[in-house]
Amino acid sequence: MHRNGSFRFELSGTLAVAALMGVAGYAVFFLAPTERTMGEIQRIFYFHVASAWTAFLAFFIVFVANLNYLMRRRPVWDQLAVAAAEVGIAFCTVVLLTGPIWAKPVWGIWWTWDARLTSTFVLWLLYVGYLLLRSLVEDPGRRAVTSAVFGIFAFLDVPIVYMSIRWWRTQHPEPVIAGGEGSGLDPTMWRVLLVCLMAMVALLVLLLRQRFRLEQLRGKLEELRLHIGAKPTPRF
Amino acid sequence: MGIGAATYWILAKELRTELRTRELLHTTVVFVLLVVVLFSFTFEPTREESRRYGPGLLWLALLFAGSLMLQPAFIREQNNDTLSALRLAPIASLAIFLGKALASFVFLTVAELFLLPIFAALYGVAILPVLGEILVVLALGTLGMVTTGTVFAAIGVQARMRELLLPLLLLPLLVPVLIASVSATASLLALEPSMDWTAMKFLIGFDVIYLAASALLFEFLLED
Amino acid sequence: MKNFESLLAAYLVAWAVFFIFEIRIARSVARLREELEHLKETLEN
Repeated sequence: MHRNGSFRFELSGTLAVAALMGVAGYAVFFLAPTERTMGEIQRIFYFHVASAWTAFLAFFIVFVANLNYLMRRRPVWDQLAVAAAEVGIAFCTVVLLTGPIWAKPVWGIWWTWDARLTSTFVLWLLYVGYLLLRSLVEDPGRRAVTSAVFGIFAFLDVPIVYMSIRWWRTQHPEPVIAGGEGSGLDPTMWRVLLVCLMAMVALLVLLLRQRFRLEQLRGKLEELRLHIGAKPTPRF
Repeated sequence: MGIGAATYWILAKELRTELRTRELLHTTVVFVLLVVVLFSFTFEPTREESRRYGPGLLWLALLFAGSLMLQPAFIREQNNDTLSALRLAPIASLAIFLGKALASFVFLTVAELFLLPIFAALYGVAILPVLGEILVVLALGTLGMVTTGTVFAAIGVQARMRELLLPLLLLPLLVPVLIASVSATASLLALEPSMDWTAMKFLIGFDVIYLAASALLFEFLLED
Repeated sequence: MKNFESLLAAYLVAWAVFFIFEIRIARSVARLREELEHLKETLEN
């Protein structure tokens, strides 16, 4: 049966991601060297940075799906876009939560208005707005078009926000962490980071696939409901 | 009708409607005044402090005013059922966008011209020596606001809770405009006034990017 | 083991986010399946 096959696929996929996560965890805790000044907390770096890059990847998928929807008008692109947006927000939330937990013992403060932090926060707000917009437009076709246009506008804004904050608002020295991009990161650290990135991207694929299938199911149900003219069962 | 003529036709129609009632202008001006007065309670409005916080205050007030007035400016059409008539008329969607955005630009600029002397008097900032430069900054910032705002208003008309939705979508997008405009205004109002050319180029860049994106994408929002 | 508690907290928070996300998806799927069954029943009657 079709459903059985997809279940087996899902199970093996989940196991594969779990195994990759295990390897990444092992690398982070036992292979990566302990940072001298920051101590153990520096080990969140691998997870934190890998989540951030994965979130950007997810938002890039949203952008590509938005463009494709406007050009081709196939519902799959809209479904992919919303799935990627939600998963991207999940990753982005992880970045925004682990960041302050890392900052507190190292800098003594939870938050600093630096370019990367602030633009990640603005990015998060933009995509939450994207989901909010979707929840407020009833008609599926209009929802898809309006959110696609907004999604493109939001994605264009990301580099602009980053540059504006970097040029005018960053008050403290640029490489905050010994391991900012490329600034003398130990080769072992680089390798561990790459393993972590692979694990997070695998997790992204897994979550994205699930969320996408949920959206497809929702779309089919919406269609069916329109077809037989039934009212949706009230949520909660 | 060419794009230019059609744009002018829509712009003129918008301005005529507004001149008849002036409701948009009145509400916007009163709102901005209110914000400016309320802000004075959040810090000690001495000369020194005003120089530090004034530019940010001014732009936040304008940003909030813009995000509140852009939706009504767009939606007025719907009430009169003319938006559908416009859509049917052989006017390019680009002209509709340009006409609407220009009309909003005019409304906001008028509100700003009204606000500027009051702001200068209340907070003791010397605006006259750098008036021309300030007006350029205001124009560039406002252009960025109305470009994105008009597109988002066209998105908003198709959603529920549109008046609340527009600021939520627009304000995070305008973060770069806020930062650059405040920086440019602050260096003009400093003890030794100077022009922040980086900020000016940045604002021009923002305006050009979003004007292009809007011109390309606006037509999708008008279709049925 | 300097700052180990913070590391633990960060990992727990991160996994909590993914866990909540996963639960939300599972619950939505269950709800949609239920609705589908419901629609089927109405159609059969």
